[in-house]
Amino acid sequence: MKASDKQYARALFDLTQNQKGAELNKTIKDFARLLLKHNRAVSLNRIIDRFQNIWNQENSVVKAEIISAHKLNDKTKEFLDEHIKKLAQAKEVAVDSKVDPGILGGLIIKYGDRIIDAGFKSKLRSLKQSIQN
Amino acid sequence: MSSHAKDFIVEQLKKQIQDLEFDNQERSFGKVIEVGDGIAKVSGLSEAMMSEMLEFKTERGSVYGVVLNLNEDSVGAIVLGDSSWIKEADEVMATKRILEVPVGEDLIGRVVNPLGAVLDGKEELKSDKHYPIEKIAPGVITRESVKQPVQTGIKAVDAMIPIGRGQRELIIGDRQIGKTAIAIDTIINQAGQKMKCVYVAIGQKESKVANIVAKLEQSGAMKYTIVVVAGASDPASMLYIAPYAGTAMAEYFLDQGEDVLVVYDDLSKHAVSYREISLLLKRPPGREAYPGDVFYLHSRLLERSCKLNKDFGGGSITSLPIIETQAGDVAAYIPTNVISITDGQIYLEPDLFYQGNRPAVNVGISVSRVGSAAQIKAMKKVAGKIKLEAAQYRELAAFAQFGSDLDEATKKQLERGKRLFEIFKQDQYAPVAVEDQVLIYYAVSNGYMDDVPVERIKDFELALLNYAHDNARATLDRVKKSGQLEEKDESDFQQAIQGCKDILDYLIKKND
Repeated sequence: MKASDKQYARALFDLTQNQKGAELNKTIKDFARLLLKHNRAVSLNRIIDRFQNIWNQENSVVKAEIISAHKLNDKTKEFLDEHIKKLAQAKEVAVDSKVDPGILGGLIIKYGDRIIDAGFKSKLRSLKQSIQN
Repeated sequence: MSSHAKDFIVEQLKKQIQDLEFDNQERSFGKVIEVGDGIAKVSGLSEAMMSEMLEFKTERGSVYGVVLNLNEDSVGAIVLGDSSWIKEADEVMATKRILEVPVGEDLIGRVVNPLGAVLDGKEELKSDKHYPIEKIAPGVITRESVKQPVQTGIKAVDAMIPIGRGQRELIIGDRQIGKTAIAIDTIINQAGQKMKCVYVAIGQKESKVANIVAKLEQSGAMKYTIVVVAGASDPASMLYIAPYAGTAMAEYFLDQGEDVLVVYDDLSKHAVSYREISLLLKRPPGREAYPGDVFYLHSRLLERSCKLNKDFGGGSITSLPIIETQAGDVAAYIPTNVISITDGQIYLEPDLFYQGNRPAVNVGISVSRVGSAAQIKAMKKVAGKIKLEAAQYRELAAFAQFGSDLDEATKKQLERGKRLFEIFKQDQYAPVAVEDQVLIYYAVSNGYMDDVPVERIKDFELALLNYAHDNARATLDRVKKSGQLEEKDESDFQQAIQGCKDILDYLIKKND
C-alpha cells in the first residue's frame, strides 16, 4: 500500500527528533532521495504542511491569527499572546496579525480551529437580525 | 408624523437594542476544501459531532449543512440549500446543535419544506417550538400493543387488512397504480377521527403535490394535515431529511398524547437520494449501489412509529410508507428491506388495476400483522366470514376456469365471491364510513346480495347505503358508537336490506 503524506511527515518528524547539524542534513537528504525513489516528489508541499502541523502539535505550538481594524500596539499584542496561550493551553503561539478595516472595530481571534468573533461588523449584523425578527 | 409617535418608535428601538446580548463565544470553525453536488468537505472543525448543523458563511448569506462524515482531518457535510453560493475557503461554523425543525399546532394546514419554511405563500410560522429531526425511537417500556383502529375508509383494507393506531403498514406497487390514492383517501377519511395527519412528499413532481394539496383542501382534510414537500427539483439532502422532519412534526403531537398518521410518499426515492449522498461522500457501495446502512436508514425512521401506553401520554404515530416497485419486483433490495421492517403490506397489482379492480389491492398477499386486534367488534364479526370467503373464491376461481360441470354449492360460492370482489371496488376520494362498511359486508356475507346481478352490485350498494342512512340511521350510529353488532342491530340491518330490495326490485333478478 502507498504510504500517505501524513505517514511520510510523521516518519520525517520521528527521524529528525534530537538530531542536529550534519546528521540532520543527511537525514533530510535521505528523505528527499526516498521521495524521489517513490515518485512522491509532487507531494512535497503537502508533506511539508503536514510536517509543520505535527511539529506544532508535538511541541504544543498553536497557530493563531488576530484580525483587527487598526494596527495593534505591542502591549495589546503581548496581552493577546498570553490570552491565547491560556485559551489554547499551549506553550507557544505563532501569531499572525492582520489589519482589516472591513471589520470596523474590535477583534477577531482565530487559533487552531476555533474562532472568537468580537468584531464590530458581526455585532452590527446580529443587531440587524434581531431587529428584523 | 407627530413627535409622540416618533418618541414611541425610538423608545421601542432603544428597548430592543438594550435587550440584545452580544456573545463573544468561542466557536469551532473550519474552511471549505471542496464543494459540489450538494456535498461539502470541510477542514478543521475537530469538535464537530455527527449530524450537527453547520453554518456556511458565504458572501450571499448563510447556508446550513449537516455533518454526515467525520474523517481524520476533515468533515463531510450535506448542504441544505443552494450549494452554488459556497466557495472554496469559505468559513464554516459549528453550531453545536442537531438539526431542528419548527413544530406545533401552527403547522396544521400548511405546506412546508423539510426545514419548516413555508411553501404555500401564506404567513410565516409563529411557532417557537423546535424538535430535532433525528430522535431515538420510544423504548419498550413506553409502548403498548396496537389495538385501536385507523379507519382508512377503503372497504378492502378495513375488512381484510386492518390497520391499527401505531402500526406501520407498507403500501407497495408499481408506478401509477394508486398507491398515493390509498394514502390520500385514508387522510381524507380521518375527519372527525381525532387524528392529525402528516403527508411527506419525497421527490414527487410539484404538480402532483399541488394536486394533492388542492384535493385535501377541497375535502376539508387540510384542517388536520401538514404537508412536507421535498420536491423532485430539491437537492438530495432535502429529500434525505424530509421523512425525519415529517416524523419530528408528528412527534410533537405524539407528546401531546394525540394520534398521528404519517404518510411517506415514497421511500424508494428517499433511498435513492441517500444513495446519491452516500456515493458522493465516497462511502462504499453495496447491493444495487446502496450504502451498507440503507436498512438502518429506514428502520430508524419507521421505528419511531409507535403506540405509547397511558403512562407516557397514550399517543400514537401510525405510518404508511410507500414503496414503488419496478415491474412488480418485490424482491429488490429496498422493497424487501421495508417489507421486513413494517407490520404488513398492502400490495397493489397491475393486473387487477387493468381489470378494473380499483383500488387494485391484492387481498391474497396483502397482510396486516396486527390483524383483527385493530378492528371494531362489529367489523371483526362480519370481516371474519369475508376473509374466508375471499380465500375460498380465489381457490375456486382458479379451478373453475377448467371445468364446466360444477356442483351447486361451488357455483354458489363462486357467485358470492364475484359479488364480494365487486364490493371491494371503490372510487377514489370516496371513503366509506366504518358503520356503512359493516352493513355492506353484513349484506353480502349473509347472502342478501346473492340475488342481485353482479354488474348491478355497485348500484345496489349505493342504494342500500342511501336507504339505510334515511331509515336506519339510529342503528348505524349505535354500531359506530358502541363498535358492537348486537342481535337487534342485525335484525335492523335485515329489515333495512329487505326494505331497500322492495323498492329496488327492478335491480334484482327475478328467479322464475
